[in-house]
Amino acid sequence: MGQEFSRRAVLAGLTSGAALAALPVNHAFAALDDKPFYFLTRDEARFLASFCDTLIPEDEYPSASQAGVVDFIDLQLAGPYGKGRYLYMQGPFFEGTEQQGYQVSLPPAEFIRQGIAALAEAEPRFAGGDDGLRLLVTTRLSEGSVDLGSGLPAKPLFDELWTLTNSGYFADPMYGGNKSYAGWEMVGFPGAHAYYLSFVDQHNVPYPQPPMGINHQPGRDGSMPSGLKPQEL
Amino acid sequence: MPDKTLPKTDVVIIGGGWTGLTAAYELAHEGQRCVILERGNHRHDATSFGAPEEHDELKYALRATHMMDVRKSTLTFRNDTSQRALPMRRLGSFLPGEGLGGAGIHWNGQLWRPLPSDLEMRSHYENRYGAQFIPEDLSVQDWGVTYDELEPHLDFFEKICGAAGYAGNLNGEKRAGGNVFEGPRQNEYPNPAMKQPVSSTKFGKAAERMGLNPFPFPSANVTQKYENPYGAQLHPCAYCGFCERFGCGYFAKADPIICVYDRIKEHENFEIRFQSTVMRVEKSADGRTATGVTYIDADGLEVFQPADIVCMNAYALWNVHLMLVSGLGEPYDPETRTGTVGRNYSYQTIASVDAFFEKEIITNPFMGAGALGVIVDDYNGDNFDHSDLGFVGGAYIACKQYHGRPISYQPTPEGTPRWGAEWKRAVRENYLHHADMVVHGSSMSTPGNYLDLDPTWTDAYGRPLLRMTFNFPDNDRKMAEYVTNRAVEIAQNMENVTSVASSNLAAVGSDYTVVPYQTTHNVGGAIMGTDRNTSVVNRYGQMWDHHNVFVFGACLFPQNLGYNPTGPLMGLAYWTLEHLKNDYLANPRPLMDA
Ligand SMILES: Cc1cc2nc3c(=O)[nH]c(=O)nc-3n(C[C@H](O)[C@H](O)[C@H](O)COP(=O)(O)OP(=O)(O)OC[C@H]3O[C@@H](n4cnc5c(N)ncnc54)[C@H](O)[C@@H]3O)c2cc1C
Ligand code: SF4
Repeated sequence: MGQEFSRRAVLAGLTSGAALAALPVNHAFAALDDKPFYFLTRDEARFLASFCDTLIPEDEYPSASQAGVVDFIDLQLAGPYGKGRYLYMQGPFFEGTEQQGYQVSLPPAEFIRQGIAALAEAEPRFAGGDDGLRLLVTTRLSEGSVDLGSGLPAKPLFDELWTLTNSGYFADPMYGGNKSYAGWEMVGFPGAHAYYLSFVDQHNVPYPQPPMGINHQPGRDGSMPSGLKPQEL
Repeated sequence: MPDKTLPKTDVVIIGGGWTGLTAAYELAHEGQRCVILERGNHRHDATSFGAPEEHDELKYALRATHMMDVRKSTLTFRNDTSQRALPMRRLGSFLPGEGLGGAGIHWNGQLWRPLPSDLEMRSHYENRYGAQFIPEDLSVQDWGVTYDELEPHLDFFEKICGAAGYAGNLNGEKRAGGNVFEGPRQNEYPNPAMKQPVSSTKFGKAAERMGLNPFPFPSANVTQKYENPYGAQLHPCAYCGFCERFGCGYFAKADPIICVYDRIKEHENFEIRFQSTVMRVEKSADGRTATGVTYIDADGLEVFQPADIVCMNAYALWNVHLMLVSGLGEPYDPETRTGTVGRNYSYQTIASVDAFFEKEIITNPFMGAGALGVIVDDYNGDNFDHSDLGFVGGAYIACKQYHGRPISYQPTPEGTPRWGAEWKRAVRENYLHHADMVVHGSSMSTPGNYLDLDPTWTDAYGRPLLRMTFNFPDNDRKMAEYVTNRAVEIAQNMENVTSVASSNLAAVGSDYTVVPYQTTHNVGGAIMGTDRNTSVVNRYGQMWDHHNVFVFGACLFPQNLGYNPTGPLMGLAYWTLEHLKNDYLANPRPLMDA
C-alpha cells in the first residue's frame, strides 16, 4: 500500500499556499518528510489532517496533526487494527441498534477509506475549508446526519475517527502520535515508568518527573528510533 | 469420530483461570489426575507483564490484547426478543479472558464477600417486607447455600490473594473503619489496607460527616511482602495505575498464575494443555453422566479426552454455551418458562459520579491501583430500609483511583462538548483535579433476560454463537437512580469541590448497550439452587442431570449482588471442591435428592 507522498507536500496543500518556511519547525510531518505513508494516500492524509485538527485544534498545545496523529492513524490503518484483527467479521451484516455496536461489513481501514472518499465527495471544500465549515461538517457527521451511501453509516465513521484521533494524541509516542509527549505534557501524565508506592499518599503534591514512554531514551522524545513498523503495532 | 482418543484421566477441567487452576490444585493434592484444557496460550507475570512494556494503554486497554479473540468466538446480542440479535463484533461492555490465568490476570482485585442476606435473597426480603414485596417480574431466588457455610471458604480465598483491608465485623464485633454491614468474619484481612490518595480521603471524610460508614476498598493488590497458604510470594503494590486490563509484573496483584499455577505446575497429577479448545462435553448412552470432552488441539486435531469427572471452568458465559452445544441440562424457554440452562442471566448496574476540585487539590490520578479507593456500603444489598422504595437490591458507592491513563481518563464537567477546542481545554484543566466515583449495583434476574443459541452466526469451529437477550429491569433502574442520588449527595459534601456530574447507564429510557465497558461480571445462566426445576446445579455446584459434571463461576449466581463476583464465586468454588473431595470421590452419585 505504501505510497510515496511527501508530508511536506501534504501540508502545503493543507495550508493552501502558505509558505513552507512559516510552518513550525517541529511539525510532525517535517520530521518524517522523506518517508512514505504506509496506507494513506496524499488526499486521505490531507483530509485527515483537517478532520483531526477540527477535533483537537491547536492552542497553547499542538493540534492533533502537529502531534503526529495522522502518522499514528496511517500506522494503525496499515496494521492489525485496520485489517480487522479486533473484530468478528462473519456475515451476514445487518443494520443494528446503537446498543448492538459496530455492524459495518468492512474492516476499519477500508471503512475509513471509503468513508473519507464519500465525505470528500459530499463536502469537497472540507480539507481546505475554513473553521466554520469544518466544524459544521464534523458536527453533522458526529450526529449521524450525513448520508454517505449504503454500508457507510456516518456516526460509526465519526466514532472510529474520533477514537483514533484521541488515541493518537495520547497513546505512547512509539505509535507515531503524542509527538514529544504533546498529549502527556498537556494533562500531566508521567507515562509508562510507573512506580508510586511512596507518592500515592502525598496529597496535593505535583509529581516532579517529566513524561517517559515505553521506548524512552534520555534526550529523545519516545518515538521509535528508526522507522515505524505497522505490522508490529 | 475424533482424530484421537486419549487415555482416561480422573478429572478434566475446561479453562485455566481462577476457578480451573484452583480445582486442579485441590483435586491433584487429593490424588486425582487432573488435565486442564485451556483455549489460550501460556503466559507468565515474570516474562509477559513486565514494565514498562506492559504499560501500553493502546495495546492492552483499548485493543484488549490479553483478552478473548473475538474473531474466533463471540456472542450475539439484543435487548429483547422483538429484535434480531446481532454479533458483538468488538469487545466492549465486558472483556472475557483467554490464556493461562484467564481474566484473573487482568482483573482489578476488588475482593468482596457476599452479604448474608444476598445469598438468601428471596426469603430474606419476604421475611423482612412481606411475601408480596419482590416485584412480580423478577425471578429472584435463594442461592441454596448460606453465608455461614461459605465463610471458611471466603476466608481461605482472601488468604490465597493476600487480601488487604480492615475487618468491619470480626466474629460479631462491629468495628468502625471497616464494613460494619458485612457478615461476621473469623479473621482480620491478611494484610493492612491500602494507602489512600487525596480524592478518596476527601470522599471518606464527607461520608463520615454525613453519618455514613466509609472503609477502604477490600483489595487483592497486596500491601506488603506476603506468602499465601500455597507458598506463593507476593510483593507490595506499586500503585502503578496499569492494573485493570493489565497483568502485574510487580507480583503485587494476586492472580491465578502466581498464586496457584506456579504452586501446582510441577505436581505429578497436574497437566495443562494450551491452545486446546473444548468443543463439547460428551454424554454416556443413558445421558446421566458425562464421559469426557472433545476438543480441538494445537494442531487442529479433534481429540476425545475421557474422564471420570468433568469440571466446567470456562467462565460464566462460556460454561452456558458449552452446556447448550453439548445438550447438557434442559435449555430455558422464555415462552413457557420451562427448562433451566440459560435462565436468569443477569449483569451489573453501573453509574458514575464525577466531582471536580479546586485547582489546589492535586489528585495525581495516574497513581492508581485496581482496588484503590474508599467505599460506602450503606446503600448496598438490604443494608438500608427498602419499605418505601419500590425496589430490591442496592449498590456500593466507591470513590476510586484506578488509573490516569490519558486515552481513557478524560473527566470533563457537565456541559463540555465531546471534542474540539473547549473539550481540549477542559481535559487539560481537570485531569489532575477530579474524583472518580462508581455506583456498582445489583442486577435482578427476570424471565425475559436469558441466554440461548443463535440461529444465524457461528464461531470459528462452526458452532452456533451464544445469544444474549438482556435489558435492565425497571427494578434496577429505580435502584440505580436512588443510589446514584445518594452518591451525588456525598460528592456535593466533599470539600473543595466546584462541580459534580453523573451518568447512569441504567437510567430510565436508556437501554443496555454492549459498546462501552461496564464490567466483566456476567452472571447466571447455569444457576445453583435446591429445586431442579429452577436451577441447573444443586447447592454443591453439581449438575442435577449429570452428576459427574461440576460447574464453577458466576454462572451459578441466581441474580447478581451489588459486589464484584470473584470473591463470592471462589468461595463457592472451594465449597464445591470440599464436597467433591470429601464426599463425592468416595461415592460418586447425586449429592442431593432431586
Ligand atoms: C478488566 C476486568 C476487571 C475485573 N475486575 C474484577 C474485580 O476487581 N473483582 C472481581 O471480583 N472480579 C473482577 N473481574 C472478574 C474476574 O476476572 C472473573 O470473575 C474471574 O476471573 C472469573 O474466573 P473464572 O475461572 O470463572 O473464568 P476466567 O478467568 O474467565 O477463565 C476461564 C478460562 O477458560 C478458558 N476457556 C473458555 N472456553 C474454553 C473452551 N471451550 N475450551 C478451553 N478453554 C476455554 C478461557 O480462555 C479462560 O482462560 C474482572 C474482569 C475483568 C475482565
Ligand atoms: S496497581 Fe499494584 S497490583 Fe495493580 S498492576 Fe500495578 S503494582 Fe500490580
